[in-house]
Amino acid sequence: MTDKLLHAPRDLDLFAREQPRLDDALTRRVNADPDNLERGLAQLVMTIVELLRQLMERQALRRIDGGTLSDDEVERLGRTFMELDKRMEELRETFGLDEEDLNLNLGPLGNLL
Amino acid sequence: MTTTVAQRDVALIDLVDRLLGGGVVIAGDITLAVADVDLVYVSLRALVSSVATAEEKHLLPRMGSAL
Amino acid sequence: MIEVYAIADHPGPPLPDGAAGLRAVPVGRLAAICGAVQERDVSPDALWTHEEVVEGLMASRDLLPVRYGTRLPDESRLTAAVAERHDVLLAALDGAAELALRVAAPPETPAPADAARRVHDALASQARASTVLDARESADVLRAAYLVRRADSEAFTAAVAGQQRAHPGLRLLCTGPWPPYSFAAA
Repeated sequence: MTDKLLHAPRDLDLFAREQPRLDDALTRRVNADPDNLERGLAQLVMTIVELLRQLMERQALRRIDGGTLSDDEVERLGRTFMELDKRMEELRETFGLDEEDLNLNLGPLGNLL
Repeated sequence: MTTTVAQRDVALIDLVDRLLGGGVVIAGDITLAVADVDLVYVSLRALVSSVATAEEKHLLPRMGSAL
Repeated sequence: MIEVYAIADHPGPPLPDGAAGLRAVPVGRLAAICGAVQERDVSPDALWTHEEVVEGLMASRDLLPVRYGTRLPDESRLTAAVAERHDVLLAALDGAAELALRVAAPPETPAPADAARRVHDALASQARASTVLDARESADVLRAAYLVRRADSEAFTAAVAGQQRAHPGLRLLCTGPWPPYSFAAA
């Protein structure tokens, strides 16, 4: 194979600052088995947790709208769901998952969430 | 400070960009486990040692532990 | 398990002598060139070895390089995948090679992006096609690829040298010829 440099400056330093990006370019494309398995499971579990969270939230809102809860209870519910949301976000970050990653495609039924 | 960089090392950037980022992508009915380039295991040590500016670079921990 | 190297015309010339273990799987007017998967770590050597195979093929035929690491369970799966995009792939096959450009600038150079853009426009006008690549994660001012007939590589390289002379505040690096990786995504 021919030498690939068709035209180059004498000092190649400016073009040799790439190693971090090179590492990144290759590591971004690698799924180390143990990490990936764990991540896949985490993803599945968190999707289900997210589903439950959304169902509970919807239920809570219905109760709040229905006026059957005391102010105190409403406030506690609100804070709880905020905490839950925050925890979910932290968990997602730990595993490098976006909101969109926590979903399951059920084919003709569309997405779970 | 001038670093001696082998010509092939400089061209390596362009090679990686192309091989891993370009080319025809054959999708179709393939499972993730066999066709996705993400399943190629990287020996970072082999990679880093071949580039003359290796002294500035660090092996990423998550990659190192996977090997 | 098979690994895919390139898509070429069919019928085509016999595979080169050094291409041990490669097969050309015909799909209509295309041939998908593949071989048995060789398990190995991704390293510069592995990448260059793969590249040598593709360029060895390119020396005797027009081709579209396939993304590195493309693996399929068997030839029938490969045939199906290629058949699905047959016409688009056939239209993209045109025998040109790719030349890569990287533009860097020492910190004291003013407005390097504008100058780099002018260099790109000038070179693009001498190529069959061109594309600006994403250079955001790098220290480069600009990265681009140009589709050029293999016979025109030398003239294009001279044009790069001319642009370098015209822009002493920039540093131009041109590599190639490469198989047309940046123009193969259909």
